[in-house]
Amino acid sequence: MIVIIIYTIISFLLDGLLSNYMSINIIDPSYFRTIYSIISLVIIYNYFDNNTKYLKILLVLGMFFDIVYTNTFLLNVVIFLIIYLIIKKINIFIPNNIFTINLKSILSITIYHILSYLILLLSNYHNYSIRLLTLILSRSIIVTIIYTTISYLLLKKIYFKIYDKKIK
Amino acid sequence: MKKKNINIKPKYTILIIIFSIIVIVTVFSHTLKEDRQLNKFESFIKDTVTSVEKIVFYPFKFVINKVDDYKELNNIRKKYQSLLPEVERIDSLNAENIELRKQLKALKEELNITYTINDYEYLNATVINRNIAHWYNTITIDKGSYNGVEPDMVVVNSSGLIGRVVSTTTFTSDVRLITTSDTINKISVTISDNNTSVNGLIKNYNYNTKYLEVEGISNTEKITEGAYVYTSGLGGIFPSGILIGTVKNITTDEYDLAKIIDVSPVANFDDINYVAVLKRKEIEK
Repeated sequence: MIVIIIYTIISFLLDGLLSNYMSINIIDPSYFRTIYSIISLVIIYNYFDNNTKYLKILLVLGMFFDIVYTNTFLLNVVIFLIIYLIIKKINIFIPNNIFTINLKSILSITIYHILSYLILLLSNYHNYSIRLLTLILSRSIIVTIIYTTISYLLLKKIYFKIYDKKIK
Repeated sequence: MKKKNINIKPKYTILIIIFSIIVIVTVFSHTLKEDRQLNKFESFIKDTVTSVEKIVFYPFKFVINKVDDYKELNNIRKKYQSLLPEVERIDSLNAENIELRKQLKALKEELNITYTINDYEYLNATVINRNIAHWYNTITIDKGSYNGVEPDMVVVNSSGLIGRVVSTTTFTSDVRLITTSDTINKISVTISDNNTSVNGLIKNYNYNTKYLEVEGISNTEKITEGAYVYTSGLGGIFPSGILIGTVKNITTDEYDLAKIIDVSPVANFDDINYVAVLKRKEIEK
C-alpha cells in the first residue's frame, strides 16, 4: 500500500512540476503536459482487490487536485469517478499488459479533456476551441505513453518483489 | 443475504439522468468561475500543498535555472553587441525620464490628482504551477492576500503584460493569462508607431501561430507591421503603457470593414517562471 501511495503522491506533484517548470528551449513545454495523477489512477487500479480502498485514494486525489491545481469544487472528483467506472468496465474485457495499459491511459486522458471541454463549454463564458482540445490531446500522447510505460514496469517490479499480492 | 433488485421505470431513469445533469452543470458553473474565492479549508490545503511543492521543486528549479544561465552565458556577447548603442543613449534617456516625471508630478499637483491607475509598485513572485482545468491559461503564484495581492491586480514579467489576478488565498494567487479568450472582459490596447495611434481590443489567442488577434479597428486606419501594442488604460483594470507585443500581420475581416491584427506577444507564455504583480499605491490623503 505504501508504495502505491508514494507513487500517487509523486504523480500528483509531477502535475504541478511539469505544468510549468519544464521550460527547455529545444522542446515545446506543452509536450510534457499530461495528467500524471490520472495515469497513476489507471496504473494502480490493478493492484487493488478491494475497490473501497481504491475509491478512497481516488476521492482524496480528486479533492486535492480540485483545490490545488484547478481551484474547483468536486469537478475532478466527478471526472475521476467517471474514468474509474470506464476503466472498471474495460478491465473486464481487456487483460492488462504494457500495450493495453498505455491504451487505457490515453483513453482516460482523452475522456478527462473531453469532459472538461464539455463542462467548460456548458458552464463557462470563455471560448475554448475544439482546435485547442485536439492540440492538447495530440501533444499529451507521447509523454502519456512514456510515463505509463515507466510507471507500469517500475511499479510491477517494485511491488510484486516486495509484496507479491494484491491489496485487500 | 439476498440483494434487493430495485426496478426503476425507464421514464424515471431518463428523468433522473436529466436531473443529475442539471445539478452537475449548475454546481460546475458555480465552481468553474475563475474568480471563485476558496473557503478557509480549501485555502489552508492549497497553501500547505504549495508550500510543500516549493520545497520539493526547489532542486529541480535550481537545475533548470543553472541550465538557463549557461545558455544565457553563450548569448551574452551577441546581446552585449546589440545593446551597446542603447547603453550609450541611456544617460540622455534617464535625464529625459526625470524631466518628464517632474512635469507629470507638477501637472498632477496643478490638477489636484492624487491617484491615477498608473500609480503602482512592483511585487515580485514565482510561478508555482499552471491551472490544468482551464487548460493552462491560469497560473498560480506564490504571493497572496498576506502580501497585499488583491483580485484584478495586473501581472507582468520582464518582457511585458502577462495577465491579471483573479483570486487569492493567504499565500497564493491565481493569475488569468491574456491568452484566455475572455468574451466579457476584453483587453483594450493601443497600437502605436511613430506617427499614428489606434485603439483596439484583444479578441483571442491563436495557439497554432502563437499570435494575439486584435479587433475593432477600422479598415481606413493605417497600421504598419512592427508597430508596438500596449495597454490603453481604458476599462479601468490594466494601466496604460504596458507593452504586449508587436504587430506581425494585418488582414481584414470578411466584410472588408475592419482590420484584424496579429500581434506577436513579447512574453513567452510557455515559459513563465518569475512575474511581478503591480500593486496599487496607497492613495495619499
